[in-house]
Amino acid sequence: MWYGLEAEEYQKEYKDKDLLKRIFKYFRPYRKEFAIVTLFLTLSSLTYASIPILISIAITNLGANLEPIYVVSVIILIFCLNFLGWIFSYFRQKYTAVIIGNIVLDVRQSANAAVIDRDLSFFDKYPIGKIVSRVNSDSRDFGETVELTMQVISSLFIILFLLIVMVFINPFLASIFMVSIPLFFVVALTFRKVARRLTLLGQRALASVNAYVKESFGGIQIAKTFRQESKLYKKFKEVNNQSYSVNLKRGIFMFSVFPALSIVQGVIFALIIYYGGSFIISGQISPGELYLFIQSLAYLFFPLLVIAAFWPQFQLGLAASERIFTLIDESPAVVQSNDIKPKRLEGQIEFKNLTFQYEENRKIFDDFSLTIHPGEALAIVGHTGAGKSSLANLIARFYEFQGGDILIDGTSIREFDLKEYRKQIGIIPQSPFLWDASIKKNVKYSRRDATDTEINDALDQAGGADWVKDLNNGIRTKVGERGNLISMGQRQLVVFARTLLENPAILILDEATASVDPFTETRIQDALEKTIKDRTSIIIAHRLWTVRHVDRIIVLEQGKIVEEGSHDYLMAQGGTYANLYNTYFRHQSLSYLDKVKEIKQRSS
Amino acid sequence: MKNSSKKLNLTPQVEFSPEKDVFIRARQKGTRRWILAHLFYKHNKFYIFTILFLTLLTANLNALTFIFLGIAINEFVAGNSSNLLFYVILILIFGVSSPILRFANSMLREVLAQRIERDVRKEFFANLLGKSQSFHDRQKMGEVMARATDDVRMLNFLISPAVSLIIESFTALIIPIIYIALFLPSQLFLAPIIFVVIFLILLKDYVRKLTPVTMMMRTKFGQMNAVLNETLTGIDVVKGSNQEEYEMKKYYRKIKSYRDAYVKQGQIQAKYLPILFLAILITVGLIHAIYLFTLNQINIGQIITYLGLMSTLRFPTFISIFIFAIVKNAKISSDRLLDFMNEETLIDENPEGVEKLLEGNIKFENVSFSYAKNGRPVLQNISFEIKPGQTVAIVGTTGSGKTTLTKLLSRLYDVDKGKILVDGVDVRDYALNSLRNQISYIEQDVFLFSDTIFSNISFGRTSSLEDIINVAREAQAHEFISSFPNGYDSEVGERGVQLSGGERQRIAIARAFLTDPRILVLDDSTSAIDSATEDKIQEAISKVLKNRTTILITHRLSQIRWSDLIIVLKRGEIVAEGTHEELLKSSEEYRKIFVKRFDVSLDQLLKGEEKV
Repeated sequence: MWYGLEAEEYQKEYKDKDLLKRIFKYFRPYRKEFAIVTLFLTLSSLTYASIPILISIAITNLGANLEPIYVVSVIILIFCLNFLGWIFSYFRQKYTAVIIGNIVLDVRQSANAAVIDRDLSFFDKYPIGKIVSRVNSDSRDFGETVELTMQVISSLFIILFLLIVMVFINPFLASIFMVSIPLFFVVALTFRKVARRLTLLGQRALASVNAYVKESFGGIQIAKTFRQESKLYKKFKEVNNQSYSVNLKRGIFMFSVFPALSIVQGVIFALIIYYGGSFIISGQISPGELYLFIQSLAYLFFPLLVIAAFWPQFQLGLAASERIFTLIDESPAVVQSNDIKPKRLEGQIEFKNLTFQYEENRKIFDDFSLTIHPGEALAIVGHTGAGKSSLANLIARFYEFQGGDILIDGTSIREFDLKEYRKQIGIIPQSPFLWDASIKKNVKYSRRDATDTEINDALDQAGGADWVKDLNNGIRTKVGERGNLISMGQRQLVVFARTLLENPAILILDEATASVDPFTETRIQDALEKTIKDRTSIIIAHRLWTVRHVDRIIVLEQGKIVEEGSHDYLMAQGGTYANLYNTYFRHQSLSYLDKVKEIKQRSS
Repeated sequence: MKNSSKKLNLTPQVEFSPEKDVFIRARQKGTRRWILAHLFYKHNKFYIFTILFLTLLTANLNALTFIFLGIAINEFVAGNSSNLLFYVILILIFGVSSPILRFANSMLREVLAQRIERDVRKEFFANLLGKSQSFHDRQKMGEVMARATDDVRMLNFLISPAVSLIIESFTALIIPIIYIALFLPSQLFLAPIIFVVIFLILLKDYVRKLTPVTMMMRTKFGQMNAVLNETLTGIDVVKGSNQEEYEMKKYYRKIKSYRDAYVKQGQIQAKYLPILFLAILITVGLIHAIYLFTLNQINIGQIITYLGLMSTLRFPTFISIFIFAIVKNAKISSDRLLDFMNEETLIDENPEGVEKLLEGNIKFENVSFSYAKNGRPVLQNISFEIKPGQTVAIVGTTGSGKTTLTKLLSRLYDVDKGKILVDGVDVRDYALNSLRNQISYIEQDVFLFSDTIFSNISFGRTSSLEDIINVAREAQAHEFISSFPNGYDSEVGERGVQLSGGERQRIAIARAFLTDPRILVLDDSTSAIDSATEDKIQEAISKVLKNRTTILITHRLSQIRWSDLIIVLKRGEIVAEGTHEELLKSSEEYRKIFVKRFDVSLDQLLKGEEKV
């Protein structure tokens, strides 16, 4: 069994050329710094390259028994050049760090912007753990690759200077070098393709581990109450072992490129000695010059070996940049065709022949039409899975629909500026989500300028703020990750207050009163009756007694409206709604209670 | 299965091989001991020693190459061509065999590195599984993830390449000096010795400066993960509240400070002095060699051997720029891992404890509890008794401590004061296995694993498809599950089918049914299920109630009404208890909770009655 090793749907394959183009794009804003780096790079390469040349001259002259003053001045020159070279490369490295730091910052920012911009179907499909690792870790790997590349470039500069000098000393020996360079590239490029594939696999395996850890500890309480830690552990071992074997394969392969290149080095070395040796014997070159060639071999191989030694990182970086660019380049499903900035919305909502599905061939709505009037309070009831929440998701424009249209105040929902539009929509979702911050911060989340008084009022309106006062730090109490330090009902109240503070033109309540105790619920109910007055409200409810006073009730069944009208009208019709209603209230009726009691007594 | 999971809570590693106790003991003794324990665990020792041996061999081969090179050049200078081919072949053999040794070496170190990464992650995961719920409540998911993936990965990097490069660096520092001392005029080893001394001093200074920055980068990275994770978890709220820009700014602050630390690190690395000193000392060595040459104490070949050996010092000098950051990172990561793993597990699984089939008598005696030490008490002085087979409803306003009370029962948390007795035995005296296996929860915020529906239902007990279908039928879940193209094999969640709140809850009910628990806790569980389904579920629940003790946290009149006992909680204290009728008469609090609802629904109730 393989976990998550298959290519993700949003995995694009980039050509190397395009990938490099994308990478260079990020360099553009830092041209100035890049020029500085290039300057110091050239300078330091020049100085460092000239040192072995000077040493070689010194050695050569030893044999020639030249003036000691000459040797001394060469040596002083070597000293000075060493200092200069160090200073040059100091500046080079300093500015390189600035460039890379900024580029990674930019990449992260654009990746983050891209992710936040995605519609909710994206988050339904991909585990958050994987997305986070892509935005944060992949960008880091990408940065490391850029850093490595710049180091390699500086080494290549040195080689270039040395080669020029060597050609002057002995073209034949220099040509042996020239021959070895393409050989290197053949070896390196052969490795590259496989390495890239293995690296991608390795990263995916690790991302799967990441996602699995997240899920396991998300559900740790279930595992504990069912005492099934071992079950999680067993599967974890599989995922973990998979990551082990995939990454081991990758690692071994990566590190075999290093010795392969070293063998090339060994052969070239022997060739240099063979020809260089015979040239010394025939007096064509001096031992000092042979020394230069041997030193240059080290210089030549050093950058190539660096590439090879850090090949995994290099590959990781390329694969990482590929993944991150895919993320950035992906076009969101929800696209606005215009950017109309609405003033205060009237709140008319019209679904016109709407078709919608979350996944292929499981249509939620097919040719669905419904008009909600401005200021109307509409309740949607129906069985689970009838499409009630989907309506809310579509009005909030969290998902793209496939056919038909949704008109808000007569304008297609696709033509609004999404931000301005959403400002006027308030949603109380099924399960309340809170930020790991104080209650105060959570309430004013959508209206940052709210005063403490406003916050307290909002809490008060949302079923009373007395419970907040009972807390140790009042509205400054921290609620913990996802709000898990306060009860579910309390979370609901905070979310309700948050939405009230927003003062939306269209309010959507998705089973918002589900987990609040009756006492609080009654209070919310009162607040709700006040709140729905000057706005369009859509209430998705299962507790039917909460919706009796709305203007209109629609009954959904498998994406179709089967009934609509006021409570009294629908009750008089005696159809699905009346049936639902009676079923619901039968639970509260005394005869039903007695019946249940009977069942219970019979069974015990 | 039963046996293996029994040991899981405190020291899950033991279940596979008792030797791993090594790690638990080593963890107590600190990071270094723990890393060493992993390095020398079982076969890992063999890898370490082989790597050491191969590295030494390679370093010797390299040094010998320069010795022979010097000798060869001397012969060339003397015009002696007869041995040319011999030297070339010798150098070729050295030049080819050393990479082969290296390959073997890097293979070993890769295996070692990956093994350690795997084992440490496994250890960490198992350890977290064994931690109590109160521990997990405190953790941020982003932090846990950062540890399980990145911190563990750092230990891989510690081996490959850091530790093996350090070994290589040390041999590259020592071997050339030994060869200089053995094969060249002995005073020539002055320059490299001076260098090594200066190098070590400068390196220490460098590492001292680099450490805080490295630590800073790690912290910032963790925060980046945490922030982004939270934002994406609440993405619908972000979008709904139109706070995309705010979230982006929040994230930007984190990545900006990461960037600043990165640039700082770059500056420290740029100021790395040993490179300069290496160049200086090679020059000094050259002067020294030239001086000896003028005294005719050495020849050209020896100078070249000398310079060649000196140039091998380049490797440790350059590599140290990065290596110590990796080592430091690994140390920090290990510290972070150990901080987690060494934290006390407050709840002891007590494998030797009482194991028996429960009857379901529950007794709370003066129980008090608060989540934080010295924090606000969530429960105060709670006492009540439930007889086997009874159904008890706990009602109260939001935050009155209802859910907490039930969590104490199965020891997700332990009481601060007082005690909880099940069948007359303190819950702390049970083997955790025995206790938890017989208590089932249907929680209000249903968590399902990203797995098939089949696996989710069978989570608590491995079962046949037939059994699964049976419980799903009972939980009224069979119908909608069958409607999916893949039926029970449909994946749930991120990659699979979208389930509504009601559907999720019915799966949770099926999951609880399957374990056939002696004690069942229903936490407001049917509130998200619509009326028609609820009708069926009420029946199903009343079926499952028989022969077991049930605690209901509920506000539904129907459920409350048919409870044998109702406990009214307010701010962590029991304000009333009794049957529905008793409480309506006797308890002001109870009336207060329901009177309004009665008022609203009384006429409706009667109307509904007429039509039934």
